Amino acid sequence: MVLLLLCLAILFIFRDHPRMTTVQRGAVDVVAFTSNIVLAPFDAWDSLLDSVRSRTALQDEVLRLQQENRVLKGQAQRLASLLSENARYKALLNSARDIEDELIAAQISSVSPDPARHLVMLDKGAADGVEEGQPVLGAEGLIGQIVLVGEYNSRALLITDSAHALPVQVNRSGLRAIAEGSGDIDRLVIRHLAATTDIRAGDLLVTSGLGGRFPHGYPVARVTNVEIAAGDAFAVVSAAPASALDRGRHVLVVAQSSQFEGAIAP
Amino acid sequence: MTRAQAVWVIYASLAGALLFTLLPLPMDWRGLRPDVAALALFYWVLALPHRVGVATAFTVGVAQDLIEGAPLGLSSPGLMLATLLLLFNYQRIRQFDLLQQSLAILVLMLISSGIEQWLRNGIAVPAAPWAGVAGIICSVLCWVPIRTILRHSRRYYEVY
Repeated sequence: MVLLLLCLAILFIFRDHPRMTTVQRGAVDVVAFTSNIVLAPFDAWDSLLDSVRSRTALQDEVLRLQQENRVLKGQAQRLASLLSENARYKALLNSARDIEDELIAAQISSVSPDPARHLVMLDKGAADGVEEGQPVLGAEGLIGQIVLVGEYNSRALLITDSAHALPVQVNRSGLRAIAEGSGDIDRLVIRHLAATTDIRAGDLLVTSGLGGRFPHGYPVARVTNVEIAAGDAFAVVSAAPASALDRGRHVLVVAQSSQFEGAIAP
Repeated sequence: MTRAQAVWVIYASLAGALLFTLLPLPMDWRGLRPDVAALALFYWVLALPHRVGVATAFTVGVAQDLIEGAPLGLSSPGLMLATLLLLFNYQRIRQFDLLQQSLAILVLMLISSGIEQWLRNGIAVPAAPWAGVAGIICSVLCWVPIRTILRHSRRYYEVY
């Protein structure tokens, strides 16, 4: 009975108490450590498969990566001049200068077993400069944010978790909206957009920078479907995350965003 | 205290069951993972009610929350209530055949996960009722093998 009351008290009153958070942060490292041990045989198998890949396959990959690198370098050349041009214009307009965001490379080490949540474990923590509230980027766009930081590991909440929502902007028209997680790994939902709004399938959604959590301009999702039922005041817009959330292990944590020095942790 | 009573077997099996939760599964299949920790807990309550009770259920629940990254105290109340029901009825349930026992476990799992889903709604943590039901069905199917394994290890190590 006492324990039951304790549970309910923790749940409803002391959920965000600093001491509870300390316990949870400590547990992040312990859980990550044990799950790494559990996963070690699987990782060993993967690296064994990697090590016996044929020479030609590796050569092909090197060639592909070199070509990709050349293309990206070519694009980066233009980027440098564009950035300086942009900086000059911004100086003319007297607005704050964009400094490049500082990125921490991390790997997704495991996924939370809770089927209702989209929580993943990252292998970088407070010791590497990760803090709560920092955005997490995948290969093609934003995938989530850090919610709980241990010393050497951290937990990130993906944007498709049904408790997650983020402010976005339609890249084409500049229209602002809130993209909510749907609980499905490949779908975000935008509700409460007037049925007459200019939004189409194929539109790119980028972070709008409102709210002070996510820096402006990272791609988030692409609109897949706009549903307007006759007589409804609002359209229901579905979007697919730009980065495949259930594939790929390498992510980037935006450690220092110049745009929001005073961003508040959750 | 002339003989070791091998109580560690209980805690080792519970820890092993919790490790099972950490095994990797594809994102969309996670709902089908049987709740082995709860099954192991129920087995030990049934077999040794004087050793394993509500306090152990509380600990298992807290460990599950920490593993899942859920708010603390989310899984414990359900497990504790199910354990309490089991403690009131263990003599009857021990006499059941395997099918009846599985059905009893089904009821206990429904109660414990129902309470968990209800608490999730209460504090606005996402709940997945249908994935929960699928997981419960998988769990109930796992009752017989888990009971057999734990029964053998209990006899082998002479836990009492």
